[in-house]
Amino acid sequence: MTFVSVPFLILLLAADLLYYLFPLRHRWLVLLAASLVFYAVNSGLLTLVLVATAALVYAGGRMIHARLFSYKTLLEQEPSLTKEEKKSARDRSKKQAKQVLTLFVLVILGILLFLKYSNFFAGTAVSLFTGGKGVYSPMKLLLPLGISFYTLQAISYLVDISRGKADPEKDPLRLLLYLCFFPQIVQGPIPRYRDLGPQLAEGHPFDPDGFCRGLQLILWGFMKKLIIADRIATPVSAIFSAPENYSGVMAFLGAAFYGIQVYADFSGGMDIALGAAQTFGITLTPNFTQPYFSTSVEDFWRRWHITLGAWMKDYVFYPLSLSKAFGSLSQKARKLVGPSLGKKLPSILAMFIVYFLVGIWHGPQWTYILYGIWNGIFIVGGLLLPDLYEKGRRLFRIDEDSASWRVFRMIRTFWIISVGRFFSRAKDTATAFAMIGSMFHNWYDLSPLSNGALLGLGLEGPDWIVLAVAVLVLLYTDNLHEKGVKIRESISRQPLIFRWLIYYIAILLVLIFGIYGPGYVSGNFIYEQF
Amino acid sequence: MLERLLEILSEVRPDLDFENETRLIDDDLLDSFDIISIVSECNDVFDVEISVDDLEPENFNSAEAIAALIERLQED
Repeated sequence: MTFVSVPFLILLLAADLLYYLFPLRHRWLVLLAASLVFYAVNSGLLTLVLVATAALVYAGGRMIHARLFSYKTLLEQEPSLTKEEKKSARDRSKKQAKQVLTLFVLVILGILLFLKYSNFFAGTAVSLFTGGKGVYSPMKLLLPLGISFYTLQAISYLVDISRGKADPEKDPLRLLLYLCFFPQIVQGPIPRYRDLGPQLAEGHPFDPDGFCRGLQLILWGFMKKLIIADRIATPVSAIFSAPENYSGVMAFLGAAFYGIQVYADFSGGMDIALGAAQTFGITLTPNFTQPYFSTSVEDFWRRWHITLGAWMKDYVFYPLSLSKAFGSLSQKARKLVGPSLGKKLPSILAMFIVYFLVGIWHGPQWTYILYGIWNGIFIVGGLLLPDLYEKGRRLFRIDEDSASWRVFRMIRTFWIISVGRFFSRAKDTATAFAMIGSMFHNWYDLSPLSNGALLGLGLEGPDWIVLAVAVLVLLYTDNLHEKGVKIRESISRQPLIFRWLIYYIAILLVLIFGIYGPGYVSGNFIYEQF
Repeated sequence: MLERLLEILSEVRPDLDFENETRLIDDDLLDSFDIISIVSECNDVFDVEISVDDLEPENFNSAEAIAALIERLQED
């Protein structure tokens, strides 16, 4: 059951109806039931993996919390302890809590690593030890729905408890709901327990405005997914399935179109997720803020898949950068490479590890790892070379605040990100490099844009027009959002007739221009596979 | 101590007005690299150990908040 299906809409509306019929304090049970139905329909018996993980996380949370505050019992029993003794008791408790945390994180991560990555690691090892001659027959492993997402949620829950930033959930079923809340389980956003947990637990009274805005957002998500993503998927497939036939601007278009496809697909899926949650009065963390308006790769990653970036920052980047090991490395490096670079070294190393993980999180393939590293190189470059950039700007007398400079930076960022897409979409790394190479072949020849070559990519003329108009509308709305305009609120303020006219037109647009038909099944969301 | 802290902050980000800014994190004025630079510098200069557990927005939104965090850790 994907988001873009009638059964999903029936499940959502039935859940909405029951949610508001139930007494306030029991409403979360409707969300849990709907989430388990959605999960079981998609994952069958693998639902047991989710439930077992939830049980582990529940036990882990309570044990970590108990260890963290175990020193309090000692303080009560022996109130005459000195300040130093109290501190040492507290430190001991903290250390014990960290040990329990490590154990649970290893087990939970172990489930993900085994199910998703064991074939990759075993295959790589066999290939390494046999000089590429050995053949590894992969195990048949099925992945529970959303495992890459709920594993990160589980880890953040446990780490936050160990850091004293969250209390453990008392009710195991509520914790299960946090891990599998159906609007967000398929492809995120990746919420924090302290943001989502209380919202799920408390019953929300019916708010007609919020409900309506939720439905609007779902409709907008459908438009992005069905009119843009599923349409542009055809030329993207044409180029990536026969890359040897395309070079120069056509090869670049393959990556650029794929960038548009992923954005429409993923952010469309997010709109459906956020909208579905909003019909229950629940606010999920947004995952995008107009990423293609970014002026640097760093800026892009602040606006793209925000909750994954935030997770990596809090649970990988900061702990690594501030770890004792990285600290002493930095001390040694200061003597070797000078104080300026030495100080930055922990951040640089941690950042590379983050982007390696971001890459491999998408899937157990070298293409994804290179995709991560490609982005990491530009982020670290931005950190290492600010002086060089500054000199360049002064040399060319560039006014940093000018619109033209901003547009140039946006295009440059789009280009860098698009080239990275070769790695995430090509079937293997050799193809990705070959495509990047062929992109520079006759790169200045723009004639394929007007000589009909585009029509050979599987879309007819009218489809290209619909696609172009839809992408322009998306760009226009993103531009409004960038300027701080709240579009849905503006629509809500319009007279009733005008509002309904907009809804009817939007629904008709999806029905007429959406890519589907008898027997057509909408393409799965790209991020479902991660 | 506040004066020395302001010096450190200005070295990391000369473009920001640390004396008056109170939403350094909430408004995304400091990025994660800046935070790491500030923390490691403060750890060295004030002989404290700001750990990852202390990296909360409310501890880093203003120079005063950072100073308060350092004082708290020095007392501990």
